[in-house]
Amino acid sequence: MAGSNEVNVNESKKVVPLNTWVLISNFKLAYNLLRRADGTFNRELAEFLDRKVPANTVPVDGVFSFDHVDRATGLLNRVYQFAPQNESQWGIVNLEQPLSTTEVVPVIIFFHGGSFTHSSANSAIYDTFCRRLVNTCKAVVVSVNYRRSPEHRYPCAYEDGWAALKWVKSRKWLQSGKGKDLKVHVYLAGDSSGGNIAHHVAVKAAEAEVEVIGNILLHPMFAGQKRTESEKRLDGKYFVTIQDRDWYWRAFLPEGEDRDHPACHVFGPRDKSLEGLKFPKSLVVVAGFDLMQDWQLAYVQGLKNAGQDVKLLFLKQATIGFYFLPNNEHFYCLMEEMKSFVNPDC
Amino acid sequence: MGPYGSTTCSGVSRSASSSSSSSVTKPPADIDGCLADAGYKVRSSDLRHVAQRLERLETVMVNSPGDLSHLASDAVLYNPSDLATWVDSLLTEFNHQPLISLPSDLDFSDGAVINNPAALPRETWTDNSSVIAAAPQQNHNQLTVVTAMEEDSGIRLVHLLVTCAESVQRGDLALAGSLIENMQALLTRVNTSCGIGKVAGYFIDALSRRIFSPQTVGSASGSVHENELLYHYFYEACPYLKFAHFTANQAILEAFDGHDCVHVIDFNLMHGLQWPALIQALALRPGGPPLLRLTGIGPPSPDGRDSLREIGLRLAELARSVNVGFAFRGVAASRLEDVKPWMLQVNPKEAVAVNSIMQLHRLLGSDTNRNSPIEMVLSWIRNLNPKIVAVVEQEADHNKPGFLDRFTEALYYYSNMFDSLEACAMQPEKALAEIYIQREICNVVCCEGAARVERHEPLDKWRTRLEQAGFRPLHLGSNAYKQASMLLTLFSAEGYRVEENQGCLTLGWHNRPLIAASGWQVMSMPEATTNQEAVGIINQNNNPNHI
Repeated sequence: MAGSNEVNVNESKKVVPLNTWVLISNFKLAYNLLRRADGTFNRELAEFLDRKVPANTVPVDGVFSFDHVDRATGLLNRVYQFAPQNESQWGIVNLEQPLSTTEVVPVIIFFHGGSFTHSSANSAIYDTFCRRLVNTCKAVVVSVNYRRSPEHRYPCAYEDGWAALKWVKSRKWLQSGKGKDLKVHVYLAGDSSGGNIAHHVAVKAAEAEVEVIGNILLHPMFAGQKRTESEKRLDGKYFVTIQDRDWYWRAFLPEGEDRDHPACHVFGPRDKSLEGLKFPKSLVVVAGFDLMQDWQLAYVQGLKNAGQDVKLLFLKQATIGFYFLPNNEHFYCLMEEMKSFVNPDC
Repeated sequence: MGPYGSTTCSGVSRSASSSSSSSVTKPPADIDGCLADAGYKVRSSDLRHVAQRLERLETVMVNSPGDLSHLASDAVLYNPSDLATWVDSLLTEFNHQPLISLPSDLDFSDGAVINNPAALPRETWTDNSSVIAAAPQQNHNQLTVVTAMEEDSGIRLVHLLVTCAESVQRGDLALAGSLIENMQALLTRVNTSCGIGKVAGYFIDALSRRIFSPQTVGSASGSVHENELLYHYFYEACPYLKFAHFTANQAILEAFDGHDCVHVIDFNLMHGLQWPALIQALALRPGGPPLLRLTGIGPPSPDGRDSLREIGLRLAELARSVNVGFAFRGVAASRLEDVKPWMLQVNPKEAVAVNSIMQLHRLLGSDTNRNSPIEMVLSWIRNLNPKIVAVVEQEADHNKPGFLDRFTEALYYYSNMFDSLEACAMQPEKALAEIYIQREICNVVCCEGAARVERHEPLDKWRTRLEQAGFRPLHLGSNAYKQASMLLTLFSAEGYRVEENQGCLTLGWHNRPLIAASGWQVMSMPEATTNQEAVGIINQNNNPNHI
């Protein structure tokens, strides 16, 4: 590991609040326990350790949630919405009427992170995050419980993302808008591996001419075979190591593949061009202390080269996972940006 | 923002429990609200301590990665929510150091002197968790929307059901009655063999009974023999009872470790389905089996047969065949509150385990008496000084005073349960298991007062109750979790989930827990208080020579 452990620990301590440091260090420790050198994963222990929360009808801060299970596929989505004003309506989910016929209510399909391997839609950290998104963005959020690696490698997560997109687009009760504009206004969002999934689902949507209005990628998980400058500079310094990144890619990509596989190395030598494709506008958020930032910045450049609309939000002093706890300025900055992104007229 | 700057969280506030609750219930003052939202209970004052431990663990990880894999595969781990105890226990596993204050070279860079308390004894944390639990817990509604059919009829049925329940609550029985008719008509256009159609059918039936024939509702819901049979089919058809028995047995087995005379008190013997596995496990115990006494409580048989004794005989036969010394005693009682501790004939030398599978909630149905049945029973359990009290309860809030609340909650709970049943193999048992569930639904929906015995309450409420009654949690760990998961792959279908919930295990359908298992121990006197004076007083009383 680059640098002595004590040095690394001191680095990360300086830049995050104490409770954030505890949270992310605890994850790091737990994840170390779960990854095995032979590439297998201790799924049982992972599920034991993961803090989960159930959905709730009694609104918390005006937001309630419910789980939908697709009987055919077993795929689970957790839907977060504003609670109805009328208290007697709590507990009844309105599945017949659109969200609104007078204004647009964005629906954000969210893919949680976890390097394709960890976490679930009902993990406490992600449940809380999605709940906050509803309030901040005045949106409905649908969190997708996609299949994870190493049990389910590429392309399972993308297939589940695509299935979720089709499901969301076809729900009458997720539609909004005036007159002819009555439709489901979809955004795709995700952090880490979720960001990677959002990109690939958006590509498929664009090719199939299914409209996605925008993509929000929070330090999305991209990589390539070569080691970039940021990886070398930041290896082990802020919770994440090159070694663990490699492990997750090996667990996700088809056996025998390397990191220039197009799932991983987007806009790389094996990927296709997005030029001319009606791709959604993108908001890409990069954390200045994320060792994989060079790949994310390359992604942004790649979108620009393909003539696509992309905004980069570079948060210099942020580490990965800065958005889990609302105890830092980056969190609030992100929320503002996301709010403007999905409500451009506000 | 400077290092370790303000950690105030203005985000969503929740109670310290892992479940969602109203924002008016904030975590107790000292609990870090941000981490609570992430599912972890840590006192703000403990954060530095936890951070230091994490640093220590990182160093260990780097220096001896082999230890790490041992930890993952062999160690039994408990209650990951309680971070302070969690990191301490991990360090203990590594056996690297006694739990004392760390030297200041591991100070955090903001220069603050570490105000490190001495090793955090587990008891201290437990005390505080009872303080936490005492804060009023807002009811949490766990909703998995009725997703089976998004056909218009299905959705309309749910709306009608809830509207009907609402009119029942308001006392508008005329409207309720006409809604029943609407729903019955609608049922003919819906697939009633599965999904919302099936569940709706049962609830319409229950509402109908409540409105039109309330006099029949209070009557006994079936003979003792019938109930036992239905219970057996429910046991066979789906994994809930198997999980309950399995998890309780595991905890009991561990609690009996090192004891030669053990006594299990089963609050509801039924056909004794739980006990063959425990008898066999005790037979295989390294060092040999203990002498096992089993006291089975059950309703008296109306036809003069001593069915309790018959079951006892069969279990004795099994015990004999595996060379486990065994004695059985049956205690016939119609209600658990009628059982008096002297009937159990507990010997002070034996290790006692109390086993309550879905029985405690039946004691919750009385008005505010001074000695409510639940308090009375918990009190005599405590006086038995058991090594463990294994409690399994439905994970639902079916004891709310408002009828509409209860009804809605039940609708979603049983929808999930029926959904999960559908996933299990087609058997004749399934249809009969449904009748078992239907009886429960009827009791929740139709009955009131003493007749309503299915007064399910969620885990958080039971935690409060048991802690206030002088018990502390015995955490079920990663080992029990692993075995429960294995059990699931053997006995059930895709979609069932075991989850760890602050030391307890739940089994549910997809993300909705439906049944919760927990273990409890008596909190002994000195632990029940952190007040130094009180400890001094106790010492004084115990030592007559003390001045």
